[in-house]
Amino acid sequence: MNGQFRDQNIFLRIGSWLVTGGTAFLAILWTIPIVWALVASFRPTTEPMKLGDVWFGSSLTLGNYIRAWSLAPFGQYYVNTIIIVLTILAVQLVTIILGGFAFAHYQFSGKKWLFFFILLQMMIPTTALLAPNFSTIRQLGLFDTRLAIALPYFGSAFGVFLMRQAFLDVPRDLVDAGTMDGCSWWQLIFHIYLPPSFPSLIAFGLSSVIWHWNEFLWPLVITNSDLSRPLTAGLVRFTQLGEIGAQWSLLSAATLIVIAPLLIMFLIFQRHFVQSFLHSGIK
Amino acid sequence: MSVFTPQGKKRRNNILPYLLALPTLLFVAVFTAWPVLLSIYKSFFLQRMNIAKFRVPTFIGIDNYTNIFTDPNFLKVISNTLYYVLGTVPISILLGFLFALLVNRKLAGRGIFRLAFFHPMIMPMVSAATLWLFFFTPGYGLLNSALRMFGYQGAENWTGNPNLALLSVIIVAVWKNSGYYMIFYLAGLQNLPGDVFEAAQLDGGNWWQILWRITFPLLKRTTVFISTVAFIDAFRTVDHIFVLTTGGPSQASTVLLFQLWQERFENQNVGLASAITVIFIVILLIFTISNFLISEKEEK
Amino acid sequence: MRTIKRSLIIIMLFSLLAACGPTATTVPTQEQAAPTQEQATPTVEVVPTAEPTMAPVTIQVFYPVAVDAPIAAILNGYIEDFQAEFPYITVEPVYSGGYADVQTAITTTIEGGGTPPALAVLLATGLYDLINADYIAPMDEYVANMEGGQAYLDDFLPAFMANSYYDGKLWSIPFQRSAVVLYYNADKFEAAGLQPPSSWQSWAEAAQALTVKEGNNTNWGLHFSSDWPYWLFQPLAIGNGQNIFIDDCTVAFNDPKVVEAVQYYIDLSKVYGAMPEGVQASWATDAADFSSGATAMIAHTTGSLTSILAQSNFTVGVMAYPGKEEGTYASVPGGGNFYILQGAPQEQKDAAWKFIEFLTSPDLAADYSIQTGYIASRMSAYDTEAMTAYVAKVPQALQARDAMQYAEGELAIQNLGQVRTIFHNYIQKAFNGEMTALEAMDAAQTEAAAALVPFCQ
Repeated sequence: MNGQFRDQNIFLRIGSWLVTGGTAFLAILWTIPIVWALVASFRPTTEPMKLGDVWFGSSLTLGNYIRAWSLAPFGQYYVNTIIIVLTILAVQLVTIILGGFAFAHYQFSGKKWLFFFILLQMMIPTTALLAPNFSTIRQLGLFDTRLAIALPYFGSAFGVFLMRQAFLDVPRDLVDAGTMDGCSWWQLIFHIYLPPSFPSLIAFGLSSVIWHWNEFLWPLVITNSDLSRPLTAGLVRFTQLGEIGAQWSLLSAATLIVIAPLLIMFLIFQRHFVQSFLHSGIK
Repeated sequence: MSVFTPQGKKRRNNILPYLLALPTLLFVAVFTAWPVLLSIYKSFFLQRMNIAKFRVPTFIGIDNYTNIFTDPNFLKVISNTLYYVLGTVPISILLGFLFALLVNRKLAGRGIFRLAFFHPMIMPMVSAATLWLFFFTPGYGLLNSALRMFGYQGAENWTGNPNLALLSVIIVAVWKNSGYYMIFYLAGLQNLPGDVFEAAQLDGGNWWQILWRITFPLLKRTTVFISTVAFIDAFRTVDHIFVLTTGGPSQASTVLLFQLWQERFENQNVGLASAITVIFIVILLIFTISNFLISEKEEK
Repeated sequence: MRTIKRSLIIIMLFSLLAACGPTATTVPTQEQAAPTQEQATPTVEVVPTAEPTMAPVTIQVFYPVAVDAPIAAILNGYIEDFQAEFPYITVEPVYSGGYADVQTAITTTIEGGGTPPALAVLLATGLYDLINADYIAPMDEYVANMEGGQAYLDDFLPAFMANSYYDGKLWSIPFQRSAVVLYYNADKFEAAGLQPPSSWQSWAEAAQALTVKEGNNTNWGLHFSSDWPYWLFQPLAIGNGQNIFIDDCTVAFNDPKVVEAVQYYIDLSKVYGAMPEGVQASWATDAADFSSGATAMIAHTTGSLTSILAQSNFTVGVMAYPGKEEGTYASVPGGGNFYILQGAPQEQKDAAWKFIEFLTSPDLAADYSIQTGYIASRMSAYDTEAMTAYVAKVPQALQARDAMQYAEGELAIQNLGQVRTIFHNYIQKAFNGEMTALEAMDAAQTEAAAALVPFCQ
């Protein structure tokens, strides 16, 4: 009995090591692209990659970053991306809180249909409608502006859905007490509904920032100058430096310039990041 | 729906909920509902912006649709799209589930492992694609170098080979998305009741049985949610195709949205692009509604 | 939880800012307008003193950044010189991605109801599309009013003017022009006792002789990318005596000589084993492979000459493709021309022409060629001091120009985008062995002819 138990223990421990080893293997596999890009970005430009020589060069250099930065107005792209992302987030937070509150707190006729109407946006993603939305933006006279990139995302069905879900989880007693105290609707939102719904709000905010920071196709078609173009559309210019042939070091540097801020932010806030996802209504 | 009866005060100004929902309704109306109607309308017209004589729309009935469905290239695009979607979605979800199981254990450096799996998710798809561009490079590309270590000599040319181009695009999407789905599964796993597992373990169930009989069924809702997200995402993401293959060779990696972009913004063919938009919407609705119905059935 | 609260407050702050109405969201547009005004102001001040008769005018120039020379900086330098000479004109360059991006940008601007730029650098082959869309204005009048106008036109390399005329009118002026050439590693040729190839036969044999297998690795004799195939392929067809198109409404995809050229491309890998099989998505890597000494020959653009020379530590040879018959050669031009856009106000168009004249002066044409690696578009540019000194140092620049005497027109046709896509689809199928050369080219011919019908009735 005792012996059998110990055997099982050893068996379990070996199994556990194996699983840990497997996890490590997969994790390494998953990080190869970014690690390689990091290495390549410090490789001297004068040493093109070749067969059997695709790792560190003879020395480390910052030259690729300097060159990438000089080849495209990354500073302007950054400003554009940040303005676009924050504008979208700011407006969305207002619209989804109000919308979520309306659908969670009130009973009104046509509510079900209006909610379904909003959910339509979740079924037909805005990207699929880029052709007609292009004409709309054109008619509004907003072509090639940062506002044009942001505008279609000001309303978020996902956000309304998420906030409604979170607000519905707020204990009814709390709401009733608030109503008794004579809270106005906006006091109800700020004092009763919002505080327990922070995780959902943050999870939504993070998703929104990541999603719009990374968006490519819509900005590509709705802008045509560096004054409004975001980072992603700017980066693609590097892959199109066709005539020179591939300069992997340069391309890696440009790529890292684009992804560094989000990666660093993620490294710093990793715990909150994952936690807010875990505790939000997204499940 | 747990909505309580409105009290007197609320009934008086019952225009308020409409006003509160108005911003969202307005934006959905202008940027989702209206464009759908606009596309349907325009799909019955011949209009090409880059040809002066075709710039004014002419009604041509369903010609755009008949042209599309008799064009073998377009049928190829549809089949590419299905390959792409069915290739990325199940694999990324399975990998996401696997990753979640692996990093949900007590494990030294768990945060680092999570980071490793999750980081592709927070970079733009175009950046992910530029990183992978080098992997697929013929000759000394990393993927070929790795395969060559195992004595493999074929498949030199990933993005140029019509049989591998779509696969290359799928690989990048799977790499990028699995970590994202992992997070949802992690959330699901952590919300599972612990006592069920203890009971199962005491009953002598091995990990495999626990996994399939208990864990997976309990995560069904999570899986349905993820698969909805994943399907829509697979249909609407073509960013990496711009970088890796631009749809080639011979349209071997052209999917629906990429074709739509080409028709509208390269060929400036508004009518045809509108018809493709309509087809795209129909396909999306079929996928999302059937997904919704399946999940409703599961709930009951 | 406390930190989450804190971050939420920050987020709420942003949302409050936005909640205060549309002002927050219109900020971007205001900022965008600002630089234009700033640039315009100094000109207004200068005008009265410099040229009292000319009203100040600002023109936009849409410009593709297709080559990785710091082109923007070079052009900004020219613009400064130009503005010093013509103080009443302000030039505002807009740098977009590739040629396609610039063309899309112009289309969307016009579609969006905006005023197009007065001047743009677009593909020479875009001619018919631009005319069909009614975007561009003819330039004959300007040349007629110019002192020695005809001599000016005659000075451009003829191959570069091939896509400038339609319907008896002049529509574009060559600016940054390149060509397809064959780069060869002269050291490897010498070591193997080979002469530069002078026919299909000797080309294939040289490529075969220079292909070296080492274990799992192969150093190829020839790399010939086919991810954007029509351009690099054209000189093969031309070298066999038949270009792939005849006029703006007729393609010659299934001409026996073109089919034979497709077969020759396939044979280079299948029969001679001198290059990898199938479609090679290697445009981006070929130049680097050649410079590193791995590949003995590559088909590529003269546009990569500068970077290839900078990275190679052997003697680089540049020549036109050998033709099928002994002693025949072929090449095809590429690159961009200046177009004046129809929709711009007349005074802007006039200013745009001044800018064209300025940039195509022999000295600037020479300087631009030296700095970027493009082929100088004018003969007289090669007589300038700067150029003479440069070609003495870099004889390859002259070899590149000399290849142009064998050049015929780049594929320029009605409905270009679609016709080109059709050709690409089928030639790639032939390269990949999905169809025979003849089947593929027959199919391409049929589809292309159908695609041309609405444009050529």
